[in-house]
Amino acid sequence: MEISGWLSSTWLVAIAAIVAIPVLKVRLKSWFATFAILVSSVITGAFAIMAIKSNGLETYLYAGRFFGEIPLRIDGLSAWFILIVNFTSLMGALYGVGYMKSYHEQPRNLSFHWSLFVIFHLSMVWVCMVQHSLAFLIFWEFMSLSSMLLVMFEHQKAETLKAGINYLIQMHLGVALLTVAFIWVYASRQSFDFREIAFFFDNNPSLLLFFLFFAGFGIKAGFIPFHTWLPYAHPAAPSHVSGVMSGVIVKMGIYGILRVVSYLSAGSLLLIGEIILTVSVFSALYGILNASVHRDIKKMLAFCTIENIGIIGIGIGMGMVGKSTGNPYIMLAGFGGALLHTLNHSLFKSVLFFAAGNIYKMTHTRNMEHLGGLIRRMPFTAVAFLIGALAIGGLPPFNGFVSEFLIYSGLIEGIKSSSPEISTLMIMSIAGLAMAGGLSLITFTKTFGVVFLGNPRRQTAHEPLEVPAIMQAPMILILALIVAIGLAPGLLLRPLMAAIAPLGLTGGVSEPVNSTFSLLSSVGFASGFVVVLVVILLLLKKFITREAQVDVSPTWGCGYIAPDAGMQYTGKSFSKSLAKLFSMVAIEEKKYKEISPGNIFPKKRTYIARYNEFFETMIIDKALRWMLSFFNLFLFIHNGRIQTYILYGFFFILLVLAGSVLNLF
Amino acid sequence: MLSLILIVTASFFFTGIIIRTKSILSGRKGPGIFQPMKDIRRLLRKGSVYSETSGFVFKLAPTVYFASVVMAMLFIPFGNQPGLFSFEGDFVFFAYVLALGKFFSIIGALDTGSSFEGMGASREALYSLLAEPAFFLLMGSFALLTGQTSFADIFGTLHFTSQISYAIGALASLVLLAIALIENSRMPLDDPKTHLELTMVHEVMILDNSGFDLGMILQATNLKFAMYGALVANMFLTRGYEIYYSIPIFIGVQFLFALIIGVLESFWARFRMNHNPQFILMITSIALFIFLGVLLMLGKIV
Repeated sequence: MEISGWLSSTWLVAIAAIVAIPVLKVRLKSWFATFAILVSSVITGAFAIMAIKSNGLETYLYAGRFFGEIPLRIDGLSAWFILIVNFTSLMGALYGVGYMKSYHEQPRNLSFHWSLFVIFHLSMVWVCMVQHSLAFLIFWEFMSLSSMLLVMFEHQKAETLKAGINYLIQMHLGVALLTVAFIWVYASRQSFDFREIAFFFDNNPSLLLFFLFFAGFGIKAGFIPFHTWLPYAHPAAPSHVSGVMSGVIVKMGIYGILRVVSYLSAGSLLLIGEIILTVSVFSALYGILNASVHRDIKKMLAFCTIENIGIIGIGIGMGMVGKSTGNPYIMLAGFGGALLHTLNHSLFKSVLFFAAGNIYKMTHTRNMEHLGGLIRRMPFTAVAFLIGALAIGGLPPFNGFVSEFLIYSGLIEGIKSSSPEISTLMIMSIAGLAMAGGLSLITFTKTFGVVFLGNPRRQTAHEPLEVPAIMQAPMILILALIVAIGLAPGLLLRPLMAAIAPLGLTGGVSEPVNSTFSLLSSVGFASGFVVVLVVILLLLKKFITREAQVDVSPTWGCGYIAPDAGMQYTGKSFSKSLAKLFSMVAIEEKKYKEISPGNIFPKKRTYIARYNEFFETMIIDKALRWMLSFFNLFLFIHNGRIQTYILYGFFFILLVLAGSVLNLF
Repeated sequence: MLSLILIVTASFFFTGIIIRTKSILSGRKGPGIFQPMKDIRRLLRKGSVYSETSGFVFKLAPTVYFASVVMAMLFIPFGNQPGLFSFEGDFVFFAYVLALGKFFSIIGALDTGSSFEGMGASREALYSLLAEPAFFLLMGSFALLTGQTSFADIFGTLHFTSQISYAIGALASLVLLAIALIENSRMPLDDPKTHLELTMVHEVMILDNSGFDLGMILQATNLKFAMYGALVANMFLTRGYEIYYSIPIFIGVQFLFALIIGVLESFWARFRMNHNPQFILMITSIALFIFLGVLLMLGKIV
């Protein structure tokens, strides 16, 4: 069979799954869906690996007279994203098998959910392969709609519905922008093939078109100010869906941006690269700052996704600057760091979302202030979350450090550039990235400390227990990869090079590749040495203190002898001084009544404080309100009286009549 | 290797010199220079008391913290001799491995479930976060100045040629001194000798640590001081890096570094908590001045 035949057969698998899932027993639905995802992952994954080894595959799929020949191309970039999508979706489905067990009394809802999951996975894979504007938009739409419906699994909850609709609207804003952009190219080149975009960029001023693409894909990716859907959609979705959404669906936005970047002409790279770099630094800082003040675990993780998208964007912008200045080191570190961070983020963010799912399943709350001391009840989840937190904080010896290091090394190389603007931009980006790193330290020490350490803050309905092995298995697999990439990053360099090739780093630049390889090996070695050092010190401690006495007593209460779990430091208070320092961005909203002077005796009181998001409350909501009040001026037209509406029709007919009589049209 | 030996040796004297300076300046007799080390030796052999709330995180945290400081130390060069680990951009690893240690010391404090220790942890996390950009700005400026990106290469090619370079060296020392004060929670950010837990930063985080763990934490502080002192010393070595000049310069700088901290602590009062961020951000702006100075020196801007 030909390549196109094999690839099309994945849709047969999906259709088979959609037909079979509703009639299967409730227990088998999830397994069958996972199996279908596995089959299409194996098929597409095999081609992706072939593409990496052989400099890309190309085939055409005839799809009727309207579409014509649809080009399917798998180059290194597509292959990299296809492999990430396959792995993360597979792990998500496997985790979902265990996670969705508690919903077995809703078989119809489950059939719908799992059928959509299969479509969702396949549409993402096809988005990476199709290079035909119309077909691309169709798969893109499949992906958005299926993920929207996946988010709305608990559709009986009002907030879930609201999050789903918010997501739907924002995604369609994105699609509208992309459609305009593609039509623009089509109108100028008369072809839907992606390659025409490159010709367009070569022959026309490219800034406006690029920013149409950037805004369209940026809404998916979650760059500020296009990020407002993330903090609603991620908490509303079931955890395996949030893991996959945060892990890969936002990366489709990154894929789109990189694809368009690969078509840009050399002249416009520098300015656009600098703009992307700046936007990304602010995305990273803004995302993680909001993450550090929020107390809903999944909302925190959603904001943290914005930070990581920012870090990936820093890599992309830097790579473009490197390309335009002809420095292969910066280019390799930039694009390579961005792609590696894409992979890394999909790994640790899935683990973190799965751990949040474990917590939610066992305690039915996402509010970290109600939790505490879970490490004793759920030790596996705690360790998994800890490793995920260290990795996402970019700390050695885990994988997040490797990609951040690569980006840092590119930025440092960029400082040495001959132009003072680039030097300044790069050093400011370094400072911003360092700040974001410090903020993520606060965010994750807070979350881990408040949720897993100390004493339980509230009695839960039933004692939380560790999740079953079926939910642990995918997490263990991902954790193994996290550690492996952290300790032996050099192994990934070859597929990474293949993935960068479409972005313009071609053969004949073996010198930067070799030096990056040895650099990554040194980093891996040093990371490994940290682990060795810890082990040596632990053994030393054991040896020296082998005869020392060990006592157990209550925590030192500084003289106070009746401490209580409610007196532990809360997540809110942990980040309070930070939030105060950045109060212009992290806007706190408090609701309480002042105690009046006559009020002597204590009464039951309520105090509500929450953090509002700057962009949403200060910009988008305000703009919407202005828009509404403007449109309200025309309320007299839309007044709800049928008589008037009939009159409008009459007016219109008169208008047409008069127009044709007077030859106006 | 030489730098490792020198730093470890310096760390044995460092806190002793600070305490000695303070006692002389306040007219007390005070303990001997080796008293802090004797305390640590005693602690290392003592038994421990663990809180019943805490688990393995609390037991693991001081070890990771100490290991992170040792690891960071292995990156410090001595003149033109690189540290045990040296690669392009190793100062990023240096900063991040220290952050790893900080992460563990914070979650170690939170593991006790004490409201006081959470408070200290929150403050320490905030202050070290704010100090982070200053270090990167400083090292980035040096990378621009020397065209090198690893500690060893930067300090191996740092020539003080023009007048402005001395200003840069002085400012850089100031930044490193301040970072050392912040990282070790000393005056004016935190008073290690205060008696009230509510006003502590670092001390309140380690309230529950005892025995071997506490000894490690205290020694880590000494090592960190000596480590930043070594970074400062590296800026003032002679051009030929002759060992008979380098070692006395190293010892002199470390001694001066400890002396300055002692003097500062004797005459400076602690800041109010909400003034600390301003102080720390001031360091960042000094680091920006350094960057500006480097741009001027290289003739990139007028």
